[in-house]
Amino acid sequence: MNAEHAGEVRIHSESDIVATRKTVRTAATQLGFGITDVTRIVTAASELARNVFRYAGSGIMRWQALDTGGRIGIELTFEDRGPGITDVEQAMQAGYTSGGGLGMGLPGAKRLMDEFEIASEIGKGTIVTAKKWHGRLGDSTS
Amino acid sequence: MADESITVVKVRDVLMVTLPADPDDASVSALQMKVLQMMEQYDATGLVLDISAVETLDSFFARTVAETAQMTALMGGRTVIAGMRPSVAITATQLGLTLGSAMTALDVDRALDTLTDAGQRGQ
Repeated sequence: MNAEHAGEVRIHSESDIVATRKTVRTAATQLGFGITDVTRIVTAASELARNVFRYAGSGIMRWQALDTGGRIGIELTFEDRGPGITDVEQAMQAGYTSGGGLGMGLPGAKRLMDEFEIASEIGKGTIVTAKKWHGRLGDSTS
Repeated sequence: MADESITVVKVRDVLMVTLPADPDDASVSALQMKVLQMMEQYDATGLVLDISAVETLDSFFARTVAETAQMTALMGGRTVIAGMRPSVAITATQLGLTLGSAMTALDVDRALDTLTDAGQRGQ
């Protein structure tokens, strides 16, 4: 077994959203997540990658395996040097959108993951960090 | 090349589309246009979107599917979304996605039943 513990996808075009999904799917599956959690993680990654492409034009997704004393998880980081988010609290509200989307990207991704953080600075960019641990959210199918 | 990647097939009065596991945004958008054009061209009364292979239904994909169903309805057709996987249904619900006016079915067989039987009984 040559398991990988980290990886990245550069997001420059729309097709990189698909590349992000593929990479995250492979990583989460390899870390032992069940199909429902894999679907949650990949769907969250898809929302966040699209946000990077739509609002910043480009950026990078990094993933790494988490292992804290036997507790296994995955961390996804989406970093861009876009315009930043003016009001993070507002952006986290379902239905709010500034870019013609559904307004589900950030709040939806947060609901699908266990931990979620946004660091954003106007004019400098945004970093979204999301973590998912094994066997959370009452997932009986994983 | 995006619009060539998803095939739309007409069976009797129904358009059938099998969506791939992981289509890009451009393919999904192109599909919407293609379906609407074929609805007009072939005088179809219904549309079955088979999503049994789809592994990730995010908000963009769901919105485009819901919009397509709504546009099809405006043209006089009915849409059935068939075969959503359990993991996708769980994720979509947590994400807060809805599919608008589209009907759903467990698989393509039942989707066709819905379109033909219900149509004949005027339901």
